[in-house]
Amino acid sequence: MPASATANRPEELVERLGVGGAAAEGEALLKALREVKNQIIGNKTKKLLYLHLGAVPRIVSVLASAEGGGDAALIVQAAAAIGSFACGVEDGVRAVLDADAVPQLTRILSYPDEKVVDAGARSLRMIFQSKLTPKYDVLQEKNMKFLLSLLYRENENVTELAASIIAHSCERHEEQKALCDAGVLQRLVKLLGGPLNQRDACLESIEAIVRNNSEVAQKFACIDNGKALSSLIELIQDRYPRTRLLACICLIAIRHASPCYVQEMQIKTKLILILIELLEEPGKAGDEAPFALTNLIMDEEELHKQAISINAVEKLCNFFYKGPIEARRLQGILLALAELCSKLEKCRSQLISLQVLNFIVDALKHDCTDVRTAACSCIRNISRSLKNLSAGHLSSETVVVPLVQLLHDESSSVQVAALGAICNVAVNFATRKSVFIQCGGVSQLVQLAKSMDSTLRLKSVWALRNLMFLADRKDKECVLMELTVSNLASLICDSEHPIQEQALTLVSNLIDGCGDTFEHAFAEDSAIINALTRILHSASSPGVCMQACNQEAESTNTLVQVLHLFAMHSLRDLIRTFYRCIEMLPIKGMFLLANIAAGNEFHKEVVLNCLVPPQPNGNNPSFIIKFLQSKENLLRVASVWCIVNLTYRDGLCSSTRVARLRDAGIISQIKTMVNDPCLDCKLRVRMALEQCMDFENSEHVH
Amino acid sequence: MSLSWIFLGQLDSIEPMSTSKKVITREEWERKLKDVKIRKEDMNKLVMNFLVTEGYVEAAEKFRIESGTEPDIDLATITDRMAVKKAVQSGNVKDAIEKVNDLNPMILDTNPQLYFHLQQQRLIELIRIGKVEEALEFAQEELAPRGEENQSFLEELERTVALLAFEDVKNCPYGELLDVSQRLKTASEVNAAILTSQSHEKDPKLPSLLKMLIWAQNQLEEKAAYPRINNLSTAVLEDPTI
Repeated sequence: MPASATANRPEELVERLGVGGAAAEGEALLKALREVKNQIIGNKTKKLLYLHLGAVPRIVSVLASAEGGGDAALIVQAAAAIGSFACGVEDGVRAVLDADAVPQLTRILSYPDEKVVDAGARSLRMIFQSKLTPKYDVLQEKNMKFLLSLLYRENENVTELAASIIAHSCERHEEQKALCDAGVLQRLVKLLGGPLNQRDACLESIEAIVRNNSEVAQKFACIDNGKALSSLIELIQDRYPRTRLLACICLIAIRHASPCYVQEMQIKTKLILILIELLEEPGKAGDEAPFALTNLIMDEEELHKQAISINAVEKLCNFFYKGPIEARRLQGILLALAELCSKLEKCRSQLISLQVLNFIVDALKHDCTDVRTAACSCIRNISRSLKNLSAGHLSSETVVVPLVQLLHDESSSVQVAALGAICNVAVNFATRKSVFIQCGGVSQLVQLAKSMDSTLRLKSVWALRNLMFLADRKDKECVLMELTVSNLASLICDSEHPIQEQALTLVSNLIDGCGDTFEHAFAEDSAIINALTRILHSASSPGVCMQACNQEAESTNTLVQVLHLFAMHSLRDLIRTFYRCIEMLPIKGMFLLANIAAGNEFHKEVVLNCLVPPQPNGNNPSFIIKFLQSKENLLRVASVWCIVNLTYRDGLCSSTRVARLRDAGIISQIKTMVNDPCLDCKLRVRMALEQCMDFENSEHVH
Repeated sequence: MSLSWIFLGQLDSIEPMSTSKKVITREEWERKLKDVKIRKEDMNKLVMNFLVTEGYVEAAEKFRIESGTEPDIDLATITDRMAVKKAVQSGNVKDAIEKVNDLNPMILDTNPQLYFHLQQQRLIELIRIGKVEEALEFAQEELAPRGEENQSFLEELERTVALLAFEDVKNCPYGELLDVSQRLKTASEVNAAILTSQSHEKDPKLPSLLKMLIWAQNQLEEKAAYPRINNLSTAVLEDPTI
């Protein structure tokens, strides 16, 4: 071992660091500190080694005592070492935070020696780059003042630090507004004219301040009569790729926050063009470009078309042929392709003809969780194409087997994404359903349908429901055997409405078509029918609406928090979905009952029993009366269909059934509906009444 | 829009065959050039930018005093940067790394590729002076962990370590790693990273201006015969050949 290495053994070096005791002093301490710093910079392994030896608190104590003594050289070395520990290693950040280094580093920012200030500012920037570092509370007046004072300093390292603190800490609307009101945006815009690195840091913090905040975004757009906005638009054509990217991201944020800015097609097209060009850049600019592109074109078909017209799909797909892609970039490319495939068939067929499906399937097996999730979304959206499904591109073993394996993934986000893909692919396994069943897909779906996680439960029931769709009898029975009737019954009564809805559709798909499958609905003492009756009862009870609304309010609150980072429209969609679920549930249930009532005498009897129980429970009117009085057209139609099927004249018992319906007050309710505003409903009402009249007439004759 | 432009472009290239190119005489050309105004300060800034970027610190200092042009960077940092560059060029890589870290510790912490190349250069220098054991130890302790983090680093590391397997390293397949050009490559990578960290452009502006001149001349060549500059170092106008 070389002599220098023995002298610089980590254990001994750490011994020498610190204050008092065995620690070195003066030159020797400086030398030891510098040695540690030089060993750890850029070197993760060394950082971890020194962390375990407890170097960080020792160095922080050196910093503290050097501050007291005003030893600039020591302060600079200590600050640099602390900053390096906070770079790239999570444990390092924790150690630095635990040793309370931040306030000490902040103090040295006001030193007269520029070298000390530089060292402090750089070190703090490293610390504030980490997600683990707590946000800087800008709502506190003294903090805001301090931040502003930093922004007005001449030192470039300090202004960059201030900008990155803002980018790190500004999330909530109040914070954004406070920063805006304090005039931070104006100052940042001014700093955009400065040196390159400062400019990039300012772009990042402007984005953080305007993100999802229409009020602040509007204020930004009005700075200097729109000059700030135009300078951003100029920067998207800057010479430096990173600046171009950050300026694009900034403009996209303004566009999403405030719909009246950055709306001209010309500028949107320019953004798409620039982002696609940026894909070619090595490093971070190229890695992040596809994410920005996805964000820009999200949910806008017009922009999808625009992107496709400038060969976005081809350019994204070309990367697959260029050899291995780094994880972050691969994730971005997959997400961008997924977004492009979400709406336009043209894009999906382009993807298939470029023969990149194999690469996407390979990404399902990638080490990185985010890549696997992105690959699932990609397959889900490609499989929105009926053409692709029918062509069997997606139902081969090469696709299905890795997807099913992902159902066992340790990350639930991957499981959810895989379920999303399977939901679509399962619609048309056609003759290939057996592939899915053979590789254990069904049993894993059934397992997930029992999960505590409601998203997993929902998606797996959804997938099972699609698997049932137009399946042949053998497959249906195979699925039901795994799932079991009692599990299905409890899913129908699940605490979550969307899951109930999927479970009901699953039953509809199950009993759809051939008559034999009807019997499943009556297995295990009609467990499924009973479950169905139970939820219809509760859906008709007066409290349910309130209860649903309360539930919604509760989940909305958490949603608001979660969705803070997303655009508002996704929240609106969610609420809409939720409402639709509550409305759809009884409709689906009644159609299901109506279908069952179309069966044989026994089936009709069971349905009638759940409408009009043989032993009346008090004076409660049947839930169907409530439904017949509902404002929801479809619910009335479904309910009347049920009566039509029950009163159909084909068997001996029809007249008894009519009598029971009449006694329960259901017939007289239907009589009031002869002029129903909904045409479909009106027709069914007349049909039902005609059938009942026949009985009544024959009774009179008798 | 773009379609019509391409169409016109094609017309332009056909035209000279049927009709002769427009001829611009030397007198006319010089008269036109006279009307173009260039500010002295701009010229000086370009010169300063060249001196600063290329690292001619003494020349830059003299030029600053004589022309009164302020550099956009602290001249002292050029000395530091040049010291780093020189250290790599002369094989003192450890020294260079320490100097970079003193200049700005963020450079190597946020630039894994550069850090790897510097460590690789250290390994190459150990191999060059025949310290086989030390080289192996260094490769194992310092470079192997980087290879685990990044596939392309691993491949480069393998190529470098392969040097140890050959008797005559200079003539082995990866011998070029021992070349001076490898040191220069690493040195210029460090130089560029330091410039970037100082918000300074990696390349001087002068060469791009000259590139633009040549490009513009070639564009014009298609439409006209005119006195052009072929030798950039003398910048002599040469009479058009008709």
